[in-house]
Amino acid sequence: MLIIQFILITIIALIVLRLIFKLKSGELTSQQFALWLVIWLVAIVVIGYPKITSQLASRVGVTRGVDLVVYTSIILIFYILFRLLMRLNKIEDNITKIARQVALEDKDKDK
Amino acid sequence: MKILVLIPAYNESEKIVEVIRSVKAQSFEVLVVDDGSIDNTSDLAEQAGAKVLVHPINRGQGAAIKTGLTYFLDTGYDGLVFFDADGQMRPEEISQVIEPLLLGKYEVALGSRFLGQVRNIPWVKLVVLKLALLFTRLTTGLKLTDVHNGFQAWSREAIQKLNLTQDRQAYASQVLHEIADKKIKYIETPVTISYTSYSKKKGQSIFNAFNILFDLLIKK
Repeated sequence: MLIIQFILITIIALIVLRLIFKLKSGELTSQQFALWLVIWLVAIVVIGYPKITSQLASRVGVTRGVDLVVYTSIILIFYILFRLLMRLNKIEDNITKIARQVALEDKDKDK
Repeated sequence: MKILVLIPAYNESEKIVEVIRSVKAQSFEVLVVDDGSIDNTSDLAEQAGAKVLVHPINRGQGAAIKTGLTYFLDTGYDGLVFFDADGQMRPEEISQVIEPLLLGKYEVALGSRFLGQVRNIPWVKLVVLKLALLFTRLTTGLKLTDVHNGFQAWSREAIQKLNLTQDRQAYASQVLHEIADKKIKYIETPVTISYTSYSKKKGQSIFNAFNILFDLLIKK
């Protein structure tokens, strides 16, 4: 095993451990836990047997396995970023609505 | 025609009293929306004789304007004037700005510092404004002489059509988009904007143009 593989897998093992704690404390639902677990398990498989990605890559027409991983990761990250931005917009809108309501209600009290 | 003058204010304790008094001297009623100031802007505004609404936390100028619009629609006024708290605008010009509304030909009058006068404008600001003008022309098709000028008069009918969702400075662009989309009848009217060391200190940095573009891109 290469040193980089050892380091990455150790980090992921710690992350998974944290996930388990979060599941137990109720911060994560079992569904969310399962999703993240699958993502990290796939990461471990890819790190442990990088050749898998090369085989997959050549099947879909990408030369190097690493490239395939980078491409899919970037798409995933952009998607998550988009979701976060939308969520943030929604939260900001809601905070503004509450601030507006407080402002208008206080005025009613003055009358 | 009953007119209300809306002044959004954020930490404007230095100038707010003077601005409110000078607007009231033109016999207009004043509504100040204090956007979560950490100084005593709202107390001073109240003492100066304005109606005051207070956001418990800072939400941005667009949000403050919209709070003012919501209040306005709930009351019996016929027209609303947007006015700045930093003393850049001249209260004597309010009656000129609302004139197109009084004549009933237009629903909105947009102040233009380039039809009127602009004093001591920093050149960087001038360049950014001209770029914004070009951007607005390309995205809305409106042939304006000024953009992001906060001196405007709106009729009740036009405000009922206006749907603002931008909390920060991007609201000023959104207002123009709304005018174009909803085919609101507008006219530009000359106003004087005087940049002072206070207004320059309080005003937005030109780099905010990037934030505005970003807000316009990610949010409808």
